[in-house]
Amino acid sequence: MIVKHFLLDLIEVNAHVAACMETREAMLIDAGTFDDRIAAYLSEHGLTLKTVFITHDHYDHVDGLAEYVRRYKPEVLAGTAKIGGCASRVVKEGDTVRVGKHIGRVLSTPGHTPVALCLAFPGHVFTGDALFAGSVGGTSTQENYDRQIAEVRTHILSLPPETVVHCGHGPASTIAVESRYNPFFV
Amino acid sequence: MTRDEALHIIQSGKAPGVDLRGLDLSGCDLAGADLHEARLSQANLSGTDLSGADLRNTLLDETNLQRANLTNSNCEFAVFGGADVSGANFTGANLQRANLVGTKGHGARFDNAKMFLARPGNADLRDASFRDADITRAIFRRANLAGADLRGATGQANFENANLDGARQ
Repeated sequence: MIVKHFLLDLIEVNAHVAACMETREAMLIDAGTFDDRIAAYLSEHGLTLKTVFITHDHYDHVDGLAEYVRRYKPEVLAGTAKIGGCASRVVKEGDTVRVGKHIGRVLSTPGHTPVALCLAFPGHVFTGDALFAGSVGGTSTQENYDRQIAEVRTHILSLPPETVVHCGHGPASTIAVESRYNPFFV
Repeated sequence: MTRDEALHIIQSGKAPGVDLRGLDLSGCDLAGADLHEARLSQANLSGTDLSGADLRNTLLDETNLQRANLTNSNCEFAVFGGADVSGANFTGANLQRANLVGTKGHGARFDNAKMFLARPGNADLRDASFRDADITRAIFRRANLAGADLRGATGQANFENANLDGARQ
């Protein structure tokens, strides 16, 4: 699976395109803004945007969704039936999601928001705002913080150590690095 | 892949996005090489010349970069998590939004580096030099900066629980 990172022109938020180079099917993970560079990338590589996966319902992750839906008519996958003004198919912990021949598993990591999803493929995990390089997403209460830390520890840091972590903000990382050095977990 | 095969790929400009994990490229001349989005995790790059190299979004986690020359390299969004950059020279490098979590950088030089939003949390940066670096919004949470030289560094950074004993500011 190929993963392409884009830094959007909106409060330092990331979007990622995950693609199967055999079938040329692609998934967009989070859609903070519609970005011409993403459109160009899809076009230049002959990719069909089949799905958009939304990690959580914050404006910097969903505000561009309607435009992607209008242009590409992808299936939207999220933790709620409506998100960013668009209808979506609800996915939950343990559900599987396909990008061409690659099969991903939905992980539930509430804390930053009451409904928060991550998506793990062999070798890659998309963590939204649940886990950042050396940090975690903000939470509104101690209870939410405790829950997020526990969920990340259970669902994400248990992945194989060489797994690349693609975050909603900031640089990528690996499970090995975050397990050993993230100040919130060690 | 052998060292020679890897060098051929790099020198022919075909390295972007390529998996070069665990290779021994120590002491090589890779000045100006285009390695963006390549995976060099756990490679041995000690003493390697990477000056002016394109390392954007490159995965260099847990690599050995001891005494490597990374002057004026472009490391935006690069991942150095857990890497050993002891004695490495990042003078003038673009380290904006780079992952330096848990990096071992004893005595490394970051003079005049651009470190906007870099993440050196939990890094060992004892006696490292950040003279005139831009550290705006860099996150040094729990980093060990004992004896580091931060004179002339500009911008507000996060030093929560960092060790600044003997650091010059």
